[in-house]
Amino acid sequence: MMLKLEKRGQFSRKFSAAVTVIFVAASFLVAGLIFEILGVRAVDVIARLFEVYLSERTLLEAALRGLPLGFAALGLTVAFKMNFWNIGAEGQIYLGMVAATGVVLLHAYYGLVPDFLVLPLMVVLSFLAGGLYCALPAFLKAKLGVNEILPTLMLNYVAYHFVNYLIHGPWRDPKGFGFPLSIVFPPYARLDTVLGHTAYIGVPAAFIIAGLLYGFIMYTPAGFEMRVLGQNYEAARYAGVRIGRTLLLGSLIAGGLAGLGGLTIVAGILGRMRPPSAYVGYGYTAIIIAFLAALNPWLAVPAAVFFGGLLVAGDVIQATLNLPFPAIQILQATIFLMIILGEFFKRYRLRVVI
Amino acid sequence: MSGPEYLVEMRGIVKKFPNVVANDNVSFTLRPGEVHALLGENGAGKSTLMNILYGIYRPDAGEIWVYGKKVDIRGPRDALALGIGMVHQQFKLIPVHTVAENVILGLREQGFVINERKINNELTQLIQRYGWTISPNSRVWQLSAGEKQQVELLKALYRKVRILILDEPTSVLTPQETVALFQTLRKMASQGLGVVLITHKLEEVFSVADRVTVMRAGRNVATKNVKETNIEELVELMIGRPLLKISSTRSLDTSKPVLEASGLVVLGDKGLEAVRNVSFKLYRGEILGIAGVSGNGQTELLEAIAGLRKIMRGKVLLDGVDITNRHPQKIIDAGVSYIPAEVLRYSAPEMTVAENLVLKAYRNHLFANSLMIRWRDVNRKAEELVKAFRIVTPTITNKVANLSGGNIQRLVLARELGTLPNTKVILAAYPTRGLDIASTEQIHQELVKRAEQGVAVLLVSEELEELMALSDRIMVMYRGEIVGVLRRGEYDVEEIGLMMTGVKRAEVSA
Repeated sequence: MMLKLEKRGQFSRKFSAAVTVIFVAASFLVAGLIFEILGVRAVDVIARLFEVYLSERTLLEAALRGLPLGFAALGLTVAFKMNFWNIGAEGQIYLGMVAATGVVLLHAYYGLVPDFLVLPLMVVLSFLAGGLYCALPAFLKAKLGVNEILPTLMLNYVAYHFVNYLIHGPWRDPKGFGFPLSIVFPPYARLDTVLGHTAYIGVPAAFIIAGLLYGFIMYTPAGFEMRVLGQNYEAARYAGVRIGRTLLLGSLIAGGLAGLGGLTIVAGILGRMRPPSAYVGYGYTAIIIAFLAALNPWLAVPAAVFFGGLLVAGDVIQATLNLPFPAIQILQATIFLMIILGEFFKRYRLRVVI
Repeated sequence: MSGPEYLVEMRGIVKKFPNVVANDNVSFTLRPGEVHALLGENGAGKSTLMNILYGIYRPDAGEIWVYGKKVDIRGPRDALALGIGMVHQQFKLIPVHTVAENVILGLREQGFVINERKINNELTQLIQRYGWTISPNSRVWQLSAGEKQQVELLKALYRKVRILILDEPTSVLTPQETVALFQTLRKMASQGLGVVLITHKLEEVFSVADRVTVMRAGRNVATKNVKETNIEELVELMIGRPLLKISSTRSLDTSKPVLEASGLVVLGDKGLEAVRNVSFKLYRGEILGIAGVSGNGQTELLEAIAGLRKIMRGKVLLDGVDITNRHPQKIIDAGVSYIPAEVLRYSAPEMTVAENLVLKAYRNHLFANSLMIRWRDVNRKAEELVKAFRIVTPTITNKVANLSGGNIQRLVLARELGTLPNTKVILAAYPTRGLDIASTEQIHQELVKRAEQGVAVLLVSEELEELMALSDRIMVMYRGEIVGVLRRGEYDVEEIGLMMTGVKRAEVSA
């Protein structure tokens, strides 16, 4: 008896979704096994996790925690579609936070604009900051042919330390007893004051953006160009795609959305800026979410809420089961590995040859 | 040699794939000592039939008899046990291993310890018997395509096959290698083997085969002794009708060139000059052929005109407007369409047939307004082109990666000839390479039709017959230079052949 891998032909979207669901389910089994080894009943852990999605309060919390992930993941669907391997959502999130916080601080100290204009200004500037931060490696790629993976990755560290510098230095609250915290944002600069809870405005906004992105990718010439570019660089050149322009536009959107994710952290979750160690890793988790959603913007939003729930569950598990928070990262990582494995089995089938 | 009359007898073979019946009640026989050509157009079902015999596919219905006994072949291992071997289009060799290692790979009879000397001796004997040049110890990556094929044949001979199937074996060979292969096949037949040669090239049937079975659209339409048939009959059997004659009533307007190249210098991939000081004028309605052994700068010349490769010196004018080194988009919009030689390199494989058809035209007002692509219009056009260019695909939303090579080529032609308005110049690089007869004929008709409508065509080809039939003038390229230009009426195969080796026109006629 022998196992043989066979290439599958074309597969349907339904099949693809089914495989993903099966493999995500399988990741719970694998992670459960690890929990058992750690001496915790896997059933308990997974029950705690699903309880998160069942009560309104924790579900709202999951949606809230999922927002930065979701915005960043939405951006990544665009970047990855055009074969721009942006590993830098993390840094772009930080830049979005910096821009948003910068607006608040400037306004608080110097009174720039009328209060009601502060939030819109934060939205625009955090988008631009994240977008330009992502456009920088795109520019290097377009002009000099520099592969984007390392620059986007390394700019994360630059951004991390930049935020650290700001919060330990000039942006520290002068009345904050030396803690590395900014001032608390005033109500007009906070998302939770708009409709009572950040998720109430954030989730619909994410869905609207998902719809816009979907339409952009599928129906506009620029989106078509991004898809062609993602498929085959030579074909894109041949088709007359203006590659530099396409890369810049796509990366601006991708980084911009990550920047909005940063905005939701400071203006929606924390209400102030904290040192980056408080939210490190969101940009990487967003990569997992983009792939879990199969680069479909519509699916990125629920996938982000799902991952937001994992974060919430992490806190719960830590508190009630006496497991360290990284336990939940085991689950995240297992899910990611299983998604990759699932992608493989979408393309190949295992056959037993006798 | 006594024994059953047939080595192989396949009766009533039926094989269905989703959306297509690849073999529809096919019968086939193979005698010992014969080379049997299995002839047909792309998609006629030749490879499917032989893959069934080799056990890769299982038939939905029908019987297979080998050496007069009914057999059930469940996989290549069964086939090999019956003495059936197959050489595929893509070689299945491991490049870093030696010839001998590749030959014994997968043989169970070798036991645990491999007797290298014994094997090498046996292989050397076989190699000598067939007059080959390979050595059992050379590494496969060092070998040419023809030599790799010898390794595949060696694998089959070493396994003592009596029935050998070759799937389009000449597609990767040079003309000289092809001659050598055919000598080998004759020798194998003289040893009593039965050889099946899958092909769509008629001249191969006449140069090597004893019998020929013609397949069309999944059925076997006839089996003939090669001596008792002729090209016209086989063509008609293959495509179901006689070939159309190329006839054209176009008149050239040589007052003003559409495309004018002067002193072009273009670098190749290795940074050396691939095109040297090339100048020519192309007129409305003219087909200008470029003859030459491939790799003499033809592709680089077309890429440079299309804006895909930088022009170092010289100028290209389109209707008097300088398009030298303009962005490909500008050149497309100016009316230059380009049929590239490597079609897959210029396709988006994971995108749909419809999307690939408008790969260049998606910005065009026919398919998009200033904001959105109108997919309904795209799809309507795609349905139309799929029909007109006979692209075999279940739907226009099928991924291009799932199409066969010939179909992708037709798709590219449909894209270049069918979606771009106001085309003034068609740059065509080997547009019929690898295509079957009916498709080749269709491309020729299309190009002539465009020329009649006033489009200027720059046609690169290795097939002199094709060039002479279609072109108003033929330029010969050698090492990046134009060595001479001939007009219709002064074409001479020998002269062009000499020029292709670098002999200048003046020297030829002198």
